[in-house]
Amino acid sequence: MGKDTLFRSADMTLTQLYVANEIGREVVSALGELGSMQFRDLNPDTSAFQRTFTQEIRRLDNVERQLNYFRSQIEKNDIPMRSLYEFDNRMAAPSATEIDELADRSQGLEQRVQSLNESYETLKKRETELTEWRWVLREAGGFFDHARGQTEEIRQSIDSSDDAPLLRDVENANGSAEQGGHQQSFSVMNIGFVAGVIPRERMAAFERILWRTLRGNLYMNQSEIPDAIIDPEKNEEIHKNVFVIFAHGKEIIAKIRKISESLGADIYNVDENSELRRDQIHEVNSRLQDLSNVLGNTKRTLDAELTQIGRSLAAWMIVIKKEKSVYQTLNRFSYDPARKTLVAEAWCPTNSLGLIKSTLQDVNDRAGLTVPTIVNQIETSKTPPTYNKTNKFTLGFQTIIDAYGTAKYTEVNPGLPTIVTFPFLFAVMFGDFGHGFIMALAAAAMIYWEKPLARGKQDELFGMAFYGRYIMLMMGVFSMYTGLIYCDAFSKELSLFPSMWEWEYPADYKPGMKVEAKRVEGYTYPFGLDWRWHDTENDLLFSNSYKMKLSIIMGWAHMTYSLLWSYVNARHFKSPIDIFGNFIPGMIFFQSIFGYLVFCIIYKWSIDWYAINQPPPGLLNMLIYMFLKPGTVTEPLYSGQGTLQVILVLVALVQVPILLFLKPFYLRWEHNRARAKGYRGIGETTTVSAVDQADDEHEAGANGRPSFADSDFDGGAMITQDMNEGEHEEFEFSEVMIHQVIHTIEFCLNCVSHTASYLRLWALSLAHQQLSTVLWKMTLKNAFAFSGITGIIMIFIFFSVWFCLTIAVLVVMEGTSAMLHSLRLHWVEAMSKHFIGEGIPFEPFSFEAMLEDEMTELK
Amino acid sequence: MANGWSIIISIIFVAAFSAVAWFASPKGENQTIWRSTLVLSAWSCWLMWAITFLAQWHPLIVPERTDLRSQYNGGPSPSGSRF
Repeated sequence: MGKDTLFRSADMTLTQLYVANEIGREVVSALGELGSMQFRDLNPDTSAFQRTFTQEIRRLDNVERQLNYFRSQIEKNDIPMRSLYEFDNRMAAPSATEIDELADRSQGLEQRVQSLNESYETLKKRETELTEWRWVLREAGGFFDHARGQTEEIRQSIDSSDDAPLLRDVENANGSAEQGGHQQSFSVMNIGFVAGVIPRERMAAFERILWRTLRGNLYMNQSEIPDAIIDPEKNEEIHKNVFVIFAHGKEIIAKIRKISESLGADIYNVDENSELRRDQIHEVNSRLQDLSNVLGNTKRTLDAELTQIGRSLAAWMIVIKKEKSVYQTLNRFSYDPARKTLVAEAWCPTNSLGLIKSTLQDVNDRAGLTVPTIVNQIETSKTPPTYNKTNKFTLGFQTIIDAYGTAKYTEVNPGLPTIVTFPFLFAVMFGDFGHGFIMALAAAAMIYWEKPLARGKQDELFGMAFYGRYIMLMMGVFSMYTGLIYCDAFSKELSLFPSMWEWEYPADYKPGMKVEAKRVEGYTYPFGLDWRWHDTENDLLFSNSYKMKLSIIMGWAHMTYSLLWSYVNARHFKSPIDIFGNFIPGMIFFQSIFGYLVFCIIYKWSIDWYAINQPPPGLLNMLIYMFLKPGTVTEPLYSGQGTLQVILVLVALVQVPILLFLKPFYLRWEHNRARAKGYRGIGETTTVSAVDQADDEHEAGANGRPSFADSDFDGGAMITQDMNEGEHEEFEFSEVMIHQVIHTIEFCLNCVSHTASYLRLWALSLAHQQLSTVLWKMTLKNAFAFSGITGIIMIFIFFSVWFCLTIAVLVVMEGTSAMLHSLRLHWVEAMSKHFIGEGIPFEPFSFEAMLEDEMTELK
Repeated sequence: MANGWSIIISIIFVAAFSAVAWFASPKGENQTIWRSTLVLSAWSCWLMWAITFLAQWHPLIVPERTDLRSQYNGGPSPSGSRF
């Protein structure tokens, strides 16, 4: 048994556990801490309510609800909570009694907090009411004083015809106030009134409704309360108005009351006698005073209680969540009543078996049980889940692959080479020493402050960058390298070595004349692109040709490398037909066209065409005419080229029928041979008669788990009961043939289109380089035209603009775009060459993973 | 300094680096990651370098400029900006 590496997914074993009923909870809890077992559901037909531990889960749900209630109260009152990280995360599993205590305690606390809260809210409501009443008394007093002077007028208008402008402005009324002074009582005039408060936004509707229903038989006064009133239930500020409505007739008054109440107004009792009103105000004021004392006390008690809870709430949450998940897992077990044991089936990495066994032994010893927990390994034909063990460095890269699809169990994991190829292809597009340095620096900072950053709250964008911080580091480092190769740092050249070009001035040189460089004899620039190419007239001519060929060669290398993995996969899964029927013809096809193209590119570079006095041939035309007119070569690259190209084209064409037919016909032959010998696949259903089938179904339905039904507990038992879940496929020639035809067409066309697709490396690196040149020219370069103190200021301003745009556009935006293109090159161009996929992801029962998912809000 | 032999020498150098990386990678569960990452990085970087080198080995065009000052080629340069 080798060790688990990222190269393949880990070896998995299906295990059967026999756990004594008494320690079921402890065992599962210990395994949850370990986090390396994925329990299968052994009661798939049982609904959630019928399972064994539903009762316990309900109870814990209730406790969880109470804890959540505490949290919402703590948040509502802005009380600090001790962070999740201040507790030891690997808290030992609590005993059952501790859980009971916690449940009781939280029950009691909930009642206490609730009653405190209730009384607080009642008091608060009372306070609001009193405040409103005070406002009404104060404002209404003013109205009465005005109104009393105008009783006559009011009377008249009420008595007069319905078109009278009763609903007049307060201001209007103000004009004629103070003049009367006759203390004629309203009751004498049979005028009643209603006073109260109403939310300001409902005022208009209130007025209109009153006006329409009472046909104008009212006199209304209103004024705004300057301070907002706090609604105790919703904890929101509401602006309200005080109103006083005068009308005559008891029925009308009753009607007004009803309308007011239905519109959410609060009506308060106001006495029309000013003396009595003064008394009322005094009384209200003293009551308010008392109330605020009581309120303060209640609030302090509540806060103290919540602070106390907040100190250990996060720990309680963890305990309860763990406990709940333990019972949820126990619900997946089946119970053997005869032996009083719980039976579980779980997938686990074979290499963790030892650790699991010792953990179980520990739990047993601690409980002092004599009955050991038995771990059986079972042979199965089920597909094990795919598990690639990652660390914090490889996690990001593996996520890139898993986002595309889960690899088949133990197939070559593309995540391993992706660690290099993904950031490298990114860097080919992003090549700039300066931009790469910024990216590497940002990533290094995120890695250095990893812990505090991981604990803090992250927004979506930063969260993504933080998750991929190691990818970013690799991308930054490789971008620095490719920047050196492209000789670009913030679009400026880096003259690391003496140039291979010397400017050759004509004798009568004047500025503006074209100067051509002359090569230093026998010297080639040793590292990267010569910096003399920068800012020349024809640099694009050179760099386009160079980068285009670079993309083709990179693409060829990447695809050949990826195609080789399909050979490794075929070897691993012991299917030689995939080597002879897919890998070899595919590889020959690809190499005889694109391998040859790469050869030609390199050959052409290595010949000094001027020295041998021959025109350099165009490779694009050569490739096109290789297919259009095989055998004729207009611009020879080397002797015998025509013949070789004909041979290569023929070799490539011959591979197509091999790709098409070899594998399907071989499979058919193999299948027929096996049939002829009388073998058939395990679980292949051959129905002899309808009765037989019904019998089968009955048996399976009756016990569900035949491997237990016979009480045959030896580890070698083959579990075949779930065979008809579709894990075995019957051989059907037409399907295989269609599949292979699709594969062949795809492969051949993709060879062409994928090679072309790698040209994006050229396009994006060109775009990146040009964009950074333009940015330099538009901003910082202009600043150097100024001198003196203006120059200093201009350089400062233009530098800030240039720097901000460099970060935002060239590093963040261009970086994202290059990253997406690199992602595509991996998912489509590379992974299509070897990736089988169709795996089932391994999802172990682990407290750590569960808490990570659920506790993000507790950070 | 650099000529046709550079390619051969660099291949030997990178091969040697790969061999050292293969054997010197820290043992333990991350050995495969170390090996794969170091070797693959070395060859990727080499490939990039080699392509760039080959492209300039026998260049078909030469750099051309029209904006050069006469002082640029060794003459005394006036004070002021050089950008």
